[in-house]
Amino acid sequence: MPLPLEGVRVIEMGQLLAVPYLCKLMADMGAEIVRFESLTRLDPHRTSVFYENVAEEDFYNKAANFHDQNRNKLGFTLDLDAKGGQRLFQALVAISDVFCENFTPRVMNNFKMEYDDLRKIRPDIIMLSSTGYGYSGPWGNYGAVGPTVEASSGLIHVSGYQNAPPVLAEIPYTDFVGAEHGLFAVMSALLYRARTGKGQFIDLSQQASQVAIAPEPVLDYLANGRETPSGGSQDHSTMAPYGIFPCHAEKEEGLVGEVDRWIAISISTNEEWLGLCRAMGNPAWATASAYSDELSRWRHRQELNRRIAEWTQAQEAMPLMERLQAEGVAAGVALTNKDVLFNKHLRERGFFRVIHHQDVTRMPPIPYAGLPWRFPEAPLPPDRVAATLGEHNRYVIAEMLGWPESELKTLEKEGAIGWKPISYPRPRPVGVDVLLAQSRIAGYDLSYKERIAREYGL
Amino acid sequence: MSDRALSSTKVLDLTHHISGPYATKMLADMGADVIKVERPGSGDPCRALGPFLGDDPHPDKSLPFLYLNTSKRGITLNLKSSDGQSVLRELVKWADLVMVNFAPATLETLGLTYDSLKTINPNLVMVAITNFGLVGPYRDYKASDLVEYALSGLMYIFGSYDREPIAHALHQAQFRAGTVAAGASLIALYGAKIGGQKSTGNLVDVSIMEVMAAALRDTFSQYTYQGIVRRRSPRFGMVLGRSVSTSDGYLIPTMIGAGTDWEIFAEFLGAPELKDERFATQEDRIRNARELDEVLRRRFAEHRKLELFHLAHAWRFHFGVVLTPREVTESDQLDHRGFFVEVEHPVAGRLQYPGASAIYSETPWQTSRPAPALGQHNSEVLGGMLGYSKDDLVLLRRAGAI
Repeated sequence: MPLPLEGVRVIEMGQLLAVPYLCKLMADMGAEIVRFESLTRLDPHRTSVFYENVAEEDFYNKAANFHDQNRNKLGFTLDLDAKGGQRLFQALVAISDVFCENFTPRVMNNFKMEYDDLRKIRPDIIMLSSTGYGYSGPWGNYGAVGPTVEASSGLIHVSGYQNAPPVLAEIPYTDFVGAEHGLFAVMSALLYRARTGKGQFIDLSQQASQVAIAPEPVLDYLANGRETPSGGSQDHSTMAPYGIFPCHAEKEEGLVGEVDRWIAISISTNEEWLGLCRAMGNPAWATASAYSDELSRWRHRQELNRRIAEWTQAQEAMPLMERLQAEGVAAGVALTNKDVLFNKHLRERGFFRVIHHQDVTRMPPIPYAGLPWRFPEAPLPPDRVAATLGEHNRYVIAEMLGWPESELKTLEKEGAIGWKPISYPRPRPVGVDVLLAQSRIAGYDLSYKERIAREYGL
Repeated sequence: MSDRALSSTKVLDLTHHISGPYATKMLADMGADVIKVERPGSGDPCRALGPFLGDDPHPDKSLPFLYLNTSKRGITLNLKSSDGQSVLRELVKWADLVMVNFAPATLETLGLTYDSLKTINPNLVMVAITNFGLVGPYRDYKASDLVEYALSGLMYIFGSYDREPIAHALHQAQFRAGTVAAGASLIALYGAKIGGQKSTGNLVDVSIMEVMAAALRDTFSQYTYQGIVRRRSPRFGMVLGRSVSTSDGYLIPTMIGAGTDWEIFAEFLGAPELKDERFATQEDRIRNARELDEVLRRRFAEHRKLELFHLAHAWRFHFGVVLTPREVTESDQLDHRGFFVEVEHPVAGRLQYPGASAIYSETPWQTSRPAPALGQHNSEVLGGMLGYSKDDLVLLRRAGAI
């Protein structure tokens, strides 16, 4: 059965996250993604987190995030500074439906890759520009990364601990928010083009995307002039009890380091409160009038949370969650990255997707994060592994564009394409023992390879 | 009205609260014809969600509800009554896309499974947003944003090393699930209409847990590649890439940018002490993180946040600045984009709302109408569109179906 996006060809010019993640979602659903990279300015995703934490000579083909993000895409190199680079890019535009990029307007203008340049070549092209703050305006040329946009959206100010500096999510959070809005934008434009034959330019702002999904404090200010206080992560405006409670931490076998254990519990109805009381064994204190209805519980939430914490801290987290859920209580263990990888629910749903690496990388099959959706009636075929640097140069030039073989040599001589990064220093990964000694991680597993192979039957 | 991106798309919106309504708002603001179905009487529980205009908990003054339901028409329908079910069947025939966010067990009770809906309309696309997906051991588990942050792996790494983990405030997991569902619904529609896939494969199962977990991808790779179990922010070395105090708020300083190195960073910050050999390489900076933090904290405290933010960008360092919600509404950048839009509502009056995340050259994002009052379009939709007579409407109302 054909995949929904078969027949859609996308040129991807993106580094790090937002656009590559958006294109990963489209690639998995059948779009043909021609991703091009520079040989002189390597994608930072090629330069960190290597298999077994060793940066070998071909490190750029063995980086974790690169493999995660570029499965099912064609890998192509293209240096726009080089002679012939522009000619190649324009030829690609002429045969593509969508061009997605996440550079600043300054860069796009320098390389004559703005929408007006593109539509002279392909009048119905759809172009998505994904930037931190938008394609124009006083902040238009300001570069951005996830944490900086998370900060400028207002989300971080209202989140965090009380009376403490703002805390960021530890993942490039707004890159995902931008990519998710970008996917919607590109799909809207594709549907419009299918109906009318017209392309368009989409100027996506990650900041605007994030404000759009964190509207409550902004709406409150605009309508009521009220300023939401900072540090609001630990409290909820209606739910009580509500919080993250300590659990008993067991020493994990094979782990160097220590994992502390926490469970999130949130109660929104009387029924759920009674369920929590049952799970606690209906202690006498819980029947006090201070906790008899939703409003009273919310008023006395601090002492309520304290009492619950006293109860949870002697319990083991996972059995506690199962017991609470069986009583109809919304509860979830704060799972580690390792826990999620082996989580039975995600395993049964096939969330993680095992990818078989090419022999040249000398890497075993590895599970990677899957998609945020499932099309249960249309199962996906096995994934194609991310391309090594320049792997599809020949395919793109000879097969896709139909240029003669001699062009390959010319373009390589001109420095427009290649198969190895140019004068790029080999990275020096920091040892996991150093990371642990500096409290940058919880720990490391000595037998992770065996564990993964066993759990995933590899 | 001019031709809009999704003008020809008919959406039956059986969602409530936040995730589903945000998805259908995205579709409606791009021109889709969205009919929102609420239960008679109390309507969408989002109508009881604050903050409220003037702190008045009136069903047409919930600011989240007003924001989440722009550009939609609204009807009431009791999905549990047989009369309600027969109206529902007519609406399913009409729709290209049906969006739901009831719990899986409720979907079954109401007969809202893909298998039963496709017998009514074989070309229908059905998108279901649920906490944990339509199948799997956690299918019937309960969740909130907090629980979704915990189970996806984001909570454990979010916060300070020695404190309890945290989550974002507000309703991020639900909003993101809505965003993803909107995109996935267009992929399904594209496949069904243009890709020529026809009637099969049109069910989309969006799990909020997986929406969250998909974004944790690099943390999983740290385990699969290196055996690392992540934890919250390290005790030291927290200044670069995280928040730091200035004299009037917080900045997010980073080293990222065009052609930057440590020496240039020291010059930009006017801090020659950073050129000390203890901080020369990345590994040195990790080993001497405590001393480095002291130097950086002292220097940043000398500056005002926005001044240093703009100066950093002049040096091409990608700094961030922590804005309060009020500062967001006053942002010159968002103003330049015309981001905040005014919508006139018969009860709530003229209010400003967040607007377009993207500016489209051909098919602009726009709100075509304010959020509907409860059952506002009952006669327009049931009478005008589905052909029920005035007498039918009276009977349906008397039976409690609308």
